[in-house]
Amino acid sequence: MDIMEEFKQKFVEEAEEFITDLEASLLILEKNPHEKEQIEKVFRIMHTLKGNGGMFGYNKISEFTHNLESIYDFVRNGEMEINKELLDVTLLSVDHLKVLLQTGDDLDANTQKTHNLFSSKIEKIINEKLMGGKDYSIKNANNDSFLPFGSSAEKNLDEATYYIKFVPNPDIFKDGTNPLFLLDEIHTLGTCSVVAHLENIPVAGSFDCAKCYTWWEVFLATPLKIGTINDVFIFVEDDSKIEITEIASFSLFTNDDFRKYIIELQKAEKQFDIDIIKKFAGNTETFIETKETTVEKGDLFLPQPSKIKVKADSSISSIRVSSSKVDLLMNLVSEMVTLQARLNLFNEKHHDPELQAITESVQKLSRQLRDNAFSISLIPIGSILTRFQRLVRDLSGELGKKVNFIIEGEETELDKTIVESLSDPLMHILRNSLDHGIETPENRIKSGKPEEGNIFLKACYSGSNVHIKVRDDGAGIDPEKILKKARQKGIVSEQAVLDKNQILDLVFAPGFSTAEVVSDISGRGVGMDVVSRKITEIRGEVVLDSDKGKGTTITIILPLTLSIIDGMQVNIGETTYIIPLYAVHKIYSVSHQIIQKAFDNVIALEGEQLPFFSLREHFQVPGNSPEREEVIVVKYENRKVGLLIDRVIGEYQTVLKPLGKHYKSQEFISGGTILGDGTIALVLDTNKIISKFSKRTLTMEESK
Amino acid sequence: MSKTVLVVDDSLSIREAVSYTLQAEGFSVIKADNGKNALKNLTGNTVDLIITDLHMPEMDGIELTKEIRKLNDFVHTPILLLTTESQVSKKMEAKQAGATGWIVKPFESERLIAVIKKVLR
Repeated sequence: MDIMEEFKQKFVEEAEEFITDLEASLLILEKNPHEKEQIEKVFRIMHTLKGNGGMFGYNKISEFTHNLESIYDFVRNGEMEINKELLDVTLLSVDHLKVLLQTGDDLDANTQKTHNLFSSKIEKIINEKLMGGKDYSIKNANNDSFLPFGSSAEKNLDEATYYIKFVPNPDIFKDGTNPLFLLDEIHTLGTCSVVAHLENIPVAGSFDCAKCYTWWEVFLATPLKIGTINDVFIFVEDDSKIEITEIASFSLFTNDDFRKYIIELQKAEKQFDIDIIKKFAGNTETFIETKETTVEKGDLFLPQPSKIKVKADSSISSIRVSSSKVDLLMNLVSEMVTLQARLNLFNEKHHDPELQAITESVQKLSRQLRDNAFSISLIPIGSILTRFQRLVRDLSGELGKKVNFIIEGEETELDKTIVESLSDPLMHILRNSLDHGIETPENRIKSGKPEEGNIFLKACYSGSNVHIKVRDDGAGIDPEKILKKARQKGIVSEQAVLDKNQILDLVFAPGFSTAEVVSDISGRGVGMDVVSRKITEIRGEVVLDSDKGKGTTITIILPLTLSIIDGMQVNIGETTYIIPLYAVHKIYSVSHQIIQKAFDNVIALEGEQLPFFSLREHFQVPGNSPEREEVIVVKYENRKVGLLIDRVIGEYQTVLKPLGKHYKSQEFISGGTILGDGTIALVLDTNKIISKFSKRTLTMEESK
Repeated sequence: MSKTVLVVDDSLSIREAVSYTLQAEGFSVIKADNGKNALKNLTGNTVDLIITDLHMPEMDGIELTKEIRKLNDFVHTPILLLTTESQVSKKMEAKQAGATGWIVKPFESERLIAVIKKVLR
């Protein structure tokens, strides 16, 4: 790929991120229009998009954001208020920016039309601002360097005429600068005429050849911006007097009288007279106010906007790496972890203090490396949630519903691939909630609810899982209706007796859709079955709970699927098992007799009744339990269960390997791992054990 | 020995594009994504020129310039600021902070190189 194309691609990726941030900020501003931080952020993003767009040949984006930037510059300087109209236009413009990112500068007729439409809307806002606000006219009076929209400095293609006065510091030669080279540089910028003023040159006797006595006046017609002209003088402007003024928004060199006047000046070395120039410019009635952008010290510049502390922005200090590199890193780290285990084993066999020291250091390092590598592959779920904020806002408007959308736990991190494949299912669930869940304001009032509906989206960690809950306080699901429909569709037989949960699960059955009218929003033929299937693909689970009239909660349970975990190595008989360390709560040593005497698999430990579960029994490990057994108390949510094992070996870093499709139906094992000595240990899925086991105690008949 | 340039820009695309241009001209490039990291990168390094974006979160180009000028080793190191047309007003501030020059975006790589050569001359 062409290197420039590569940078363009980077720009597009980056711009997409900026736009996501931009939307998020705008939506916050919608709720709270005075959040300075967000205004500042919006301004900054517009500004960056403008600058970068120009750099990578996205001139349309550059132009477009320029005007938006101006608006938000007003806003951050307190000269303009954020209102709904402005936000609507901005959000739509943001959408258009997305399109522009894809199309580049070549727009098809339709896009061009939208482009023009938005451009004119934005221009209108700016013009209204410029015409209407009294406040502005006062401000602008002593604010010469402000360039109103549409001023000639922005029209790259039209030439403008500038007057440049260059009075170099007499000592300019000492820096090795030749002012004539600067004038040469000016020459390259466009059509120009120079008037040299030699009147300061003293008589030969007092003449210092190291000093510069000459000063110049330059008339320059150029399509370039004033900043480019300024650039010529960047290294001399400290000590020299430089004045650059736009005197006409077109090239005065087309005017014969002007040319004659310049020649006259050149001959007479006379000074430029603004009134005469005004006459030339005025002849064609396009003279605009003189704008000075002198770079001389002490001149007026824009009043500095009040310093706002910009909060540390996590998204900025990041780098992009292709995910294949991250995968490779993870693989290498897991290889290393396995090797580490071998080293540990070797160390135990050879009682060499130096080897031990090295082993311990390497172990510490590899643990840190592993944690780091793992955290690299995680991204916060918030990156997709912002999109939903926008979706809910737009859809609720479309449906005429009032919805308050609350997101919690954006910072919850998940594997990148999981986050990406979550987007579609979540979007579908939200659409369902909006379309079928939340009632219209009238219906809500009728059923005694507040007019505004609520949708909560909450992500949180739960052990080695992440739960994503979407809860609405809408109409809920009517089980009768579901059952009726399922029977009609032949999904369940007429005779089947189902409890509420089983009925609700029917929603996930393929081909099931309750929407009576197929609306534009949900019910596009993609039902909850697709949601369920997609979640299952990423080894997750969907649980639906609903109370008719009160609302619906859909919980997506996702594994963090750490490919490497901290485990506890335990033995039952000769077999080694790994229990994830995060689940381990406490370890007790208990006499086998107490276990035998225990009634209903419950023992009292430290005054607490604890159900326990013999792994030896469950895995049918041959042999008898030792005199003293170990009870490992594992905790999941609020439930605790004791796991009975023979012996605790110690902590162990584990590379979790899937068991393969033949063992898919295995309940209590989440995977296998290779130990340092090359043998294989099974990794227990404590969460499943706990939930299964607590069910067993509940239903009694299974427990012995 | 090739000269070393520190390129500071919060925007990855610009940072990479500028770095590429410089590397193609034979400069060694150190990159930083914000002012704070730029300062970190300066310690212990020999840097002949610093190019920084003006508008950056946390620490902008001007603040960075001020901080750099406080460092004994970098009192005279040229600092160029990248900026856009609308920030002309900041120019004075930048100069007082100790910036050497100012490049207006968008710019052509030729112009960037020309300015840099001028500064390093």
